[in-house]
Amino acid sequence: MLTYKYKDKGTVIHRLSPWSKLGWMASLVLPALFCNHPVYLLLLFLSTIPVVLVAKLSKEWAALMKFSLFLCMLIIVVNALVSQQGSHVLLQAPFSAPVIGNPRITLEGLGWGLGNSLRLLVIISAFTLLIFAIHPDDLMLALAKLKLPYKSLLVSSLSAKFVPILVEDVKLIADVQRSRGLELDKGGRLRKARGYMAIGIPLLSNSLERAAGLAEAMESRGFGSGKRTLYKELKLTQLEVLALIASLLPGGFGLTLHFLGFGGYQYYPVLQQVGFTGKEVILLLLWLLLLNSMLLVALRRARP
Amino acid sequence: MIKIQNLSFRYSGTQKPALRGINLEVGDGEFVLLTGPSGGGKSTLCRCLNGLVPHFYGGEISGKVEVEGLDVLTSSTRQLATRVGMVFQDPENQTVATDVEREIAFGLENLAFPQELMARRIEEALDSVGIAHLRCQPVNELSGGERQKVAIAAVLALHPSILVLDEPTSELDPRGAEEILNLVKRLNDELGLTILLVEHRLDRVVQHVDRVIVLKDGEILSDGSPREVLSELAQGEIGLPPIVRLARGLKARGITFADTPLTVREGRACLSEVLQERKLSPPRPPRYNLEPRSSPKLGAPLIEVKKLHFAYEGEVTVLEDINLQIFEGEFVALMGRNGSGKTTLVKHFNGLLKPTRGEVIVDGLNTRETSVATLARKVGYVFQDPNVHLLAESVEEEIAFTLKNLGFKGEERQRQIEEVLERFDLTRYRSQYPRSLSGGEKQRVAIASILAARPKIVILDEPTRGMDYKIKSELMEFLDEYRRDGRAVILVTQDVELAAEHADRVILLNEGRIVAEGNKREVLSGALLFSPQINRLAQSLRNQGFPQDILTADEVLGLL
Repeated sequence: MLTYKYKDKGTVIHRLSPWSKLGWMASLVLPALFCNHPVYLLLLFLSTIPVVLVAKLSKEWAALMKFSLFLCMLIIVVNALVSQQGSHVLLQAPFSAPVIGNPRITLEGLGWGLGNSLRLLVIISAFTLLIFAIHPDDLMLALAKLKLPYKSLLVSSLSAKFVPILVEDVKLIADVQRSRGLELDKGGRLRKARGYMAIGIPLLSNSLERAAGLAEAMESRGFGSGKRTLYKELKLTQLEVLALIASLLPGGFGLTLHFLGFGGYQYYPVLQQVGFTGKEVILLLLWLLLLNSMLLVALRRARP
Repeated sequence: MIKIQNLSFRYSGTQKPALRGINLEVGDGEFVLLTGPSGGGKSTLCRCLNGLVPHFYGGEISGKVEVEGLDVLTSSTRQLATRVGMVFQDPENQTVATDVEREIAFGLENLAFPQELMARRIEEALDSVGIAHLRCQPVNELSGGERQKVAIAAVLALHPSILVLDEPTSELDPRGAEEILNLVKRLNDELGLTILLVEHRLDRVVQHVDRVIVLKDGEILSDGSPREVLSELAQGEIGLPPIVRLARGLKARGITFADTPLTVREGRACLSEVLQERKLSPPRPPRYNLEPRSSPKLGAPLIEVKKLHFAYEGEVTVLEDINLQIFEGEFVALMGRNGSGKTTLVKHFNGLLKPTRGEVIVDGLNTRETSVATLARKVGYVFQDPNVHLLAESVEEEIAFTLKNLGFKGEERQRQIEEVLERFDLTRYRSQYPRSLSGGEKQRVAIASILAARPKIVILDEPTRGMDYKIKSELMEFLDEYRRDGRAVILVTQDVELAAEHADRVILLNEGRIVAEGNKREVLSGALLFSPQINRLAQSLRNQGFPQDILTADEVLGLL
C-alpha cells in the first residue's frame, strides 16, 4: 500500500534544499498553466522523469500517475461528450438528450481532452517531489524563511499530520457503529444522513479532544511563551544557491517564451498543424537543457 | 521541592470541586506514586504543578502551590517548563514534529535556547532515555513505548528537576509499560529527579516507589510509604497487588509479617517461612486439581472457527490456520502481545472482517454470507476506546441507539434501557452528555449500550485499560453472571491477573497463530511471560509441596 508520507531516501534530490525543489515545481507548473501547445507540455512532462528517477520515487510516481490517468479519462470522456465545437465528426449519437443535445464526438474534442490531460500530468508529476521528497518540517522552515508566520505554518503542518489519523478514525468508528447494528447503505436519504452522523459526531468530538490534548502538551513545553529559536536552520551553501537559480531559470524562460508568443495552440475548430521553425526548435532544446539544470547541479554534490 | 498548601480547584462550568484542601510536600529526589479511583483528581493535581491549572484550564483556585521556590499561580509556563516536565497519557497527542530529534528540540526552541546548547541537550536526552538509535526516525512509525520514551526525552532536554507522568503506560502493552516504568525508576536513581507518577496498576510499580498518595474525590485519602498505605487501605479503594492481598488474607488468620510483602520475592520469603514453621501445612494432596471455579455446564458451540486464514488485501498474512470453538456459558480470555492478531480475530466473530480462507460460523450463521447488522443481534462488540463509541446527546439515547438499530421497539426497548441503566449504575446520569463523564464511566456507558440488547456473545476488547480497581471488579462480576444462561463472554486482554481470576479458558495468540489454548491453569501456570504473580510465587515453592497450577491469592488462602 502506498502511504502518502515523506521518507528520507538520501538521494541528491532529497538532500537538496526545499527552496530548490519548490522553485523547480513552480518552474514546471507555471509554464504548464500558460502554454497550450501539446509538444511544450510533453517536454515539461518528460523533464520531470529524470528528477523522479534520481530521487528513487518511481514507485510513488507510478501510483500517482495511475490515479491521474483515471482523472484524465474523465476529462477526455466528458469533454468529448460535451464539447460540440470540432469539425471532424468521428461519431454521431443517433439520439438527442436534454442539456447535451445531440452528442457527437469530434477529433478536436478528443485532442483538447488529451492536451489538457497532459497539463494535469505535468502538474501532478511535479508535485511528486513536494509530497515525497520534501521533509514536512523542512517545508515549514522554508516557508517560515519566506516570512510566513510560524504559528500558522505549524498549525497547517499539524493539521496535515492529523489527516492519516482521521482516516483511521473514520474506519474505526464505522466498524464500531456497524457493530452496533448501524446500516449505512440502507433506507432513505434521511436514514442514511443519520447513519453518517453516527460516524461524524464521534469523529468531530475525538478530533477536538485530540487537538486540546496536543495544545496542552505544547503549552507545557513552553510553546508560545515568548521568543523562539530554531534548532535546524536551512543554510544556503554555494551549491544550494546554484541549484535554486537553476531551478528557477526554466520557469522564467518558459514564461518568457509564452509572452513572446510561443507555445500557443488552437484545438478548435480544426486542430492546428504542428510545425516548428528552426529558431523555435533551438529555443525548445535550450529550454529542455534548462529544465534539467537543477538536476545537473544536484548531481555535482559530492557523495557523503 | 513541591509545597502545596490548602489547594482547592474547581473547573469552570462544573459544580463539584476537582481538588479540595490539598496539603502536600514532596522532597527532592522522591519517587511518588499517585493513585486512586478515576475522577479522583489525580490529573488535576498533576496539572497544578506546571501551571496548566489554572493558566490553561480556567477555573476557581485557592491555596498555594510552590515548585522549586516558584509560585505556580503567578509564574509563567515558560519559567515552569524548565522545572517541571510533564508526560501525558496518549503518545499520539503529544508529538509536534515529524522526527525524533526535532521533537526533542521543540521545547528547547520554544525557550529560545542557542543552537549549540540545543544540540548538546538533545544528545544528552537521547542517551539518558536510551533512544539515540531512533534519532532520525519518524515519530509516527515508532511503537507506543518508544513514543512515550521520546516524550520523556523531550521534557528531559529542558532539565527539569521534577518529572510528572500522568498515566504514561495506560495506552501501552505490558512490555512497553514495564520498559517505561523501569526507565522512570532509573531516572529517579541516577539523575535524582523527583518523580510524580500516576498509575492504576500497583503491582507494576509499588516496589520502586518511596511513597504512595491516594486521591479520592479531590482529597488525599492516604499518604505514606507503600507498605503503610497498602496495609491500611481497604481493598476496593485501590487495586491491591495479589501478593499484598495474600498477605492480608493471612493476617486475618492471625499470621502477621514484620513487613507487608510487596514483591514476588518478598512474598516467597514470607510464605516459605510460614510453611517451614508449620504455621500452616501445605495442602494434601499437593496437586491442585481444580476445575475452573464453579464452571457452568458448557452448552452447544456458539462460535466455530474452521481453518481461518486472513490477510488484508495484498499484504502479509495476519491470521493463520485458526481452529477454535467457543461454547455457551464460557468465559474466554484471548491473550497475546500487541500485533499478535487478537483484534483481527475477534473482528471475524461479528463479520467486520471476512475470512480470506476457511470459515467462521456464529450461532449457525456463516459470517461470509451474513451482514454485520444481522450478526450484531447475536454478537455484541465493545471496542477498546469509548471515545469512538459515544455519539448521542444523553446516556439514555446512547443506549437506545443500539436498540433502535437492532429493531427493538416501544415498551420492550424502554424496559431494556431501564434495566441496563440500573444494572450499570447509570440511572443518575441518564440525561447527561456521555462524553462529559469520566473515563471509567464512559466505558460503562459503551458497555451498557451493547449489553442492553442482550447479545448471546459479547466481545470486550481491553475493556479495563486505565479502569480503576472498583469499576473493573464490578464489571467482571457482571460478566461472570452474564455468561451463565447460555451466553459467552470473550475478553481480549493483556492483563494476566484479570484472566487468571475470571476466565475459564485462555487462548494465547502469537504472530497470528494460536500457540496455547486450554483451561487457564494449563496455559497460565508455569509460563514465563504470561503467568500471574501468585503462580510465580507457587513455582518457587515446589519443593515444599506447593501446587504448581495455582493462580490467585484466594486460591492459596482456600488451600492453606
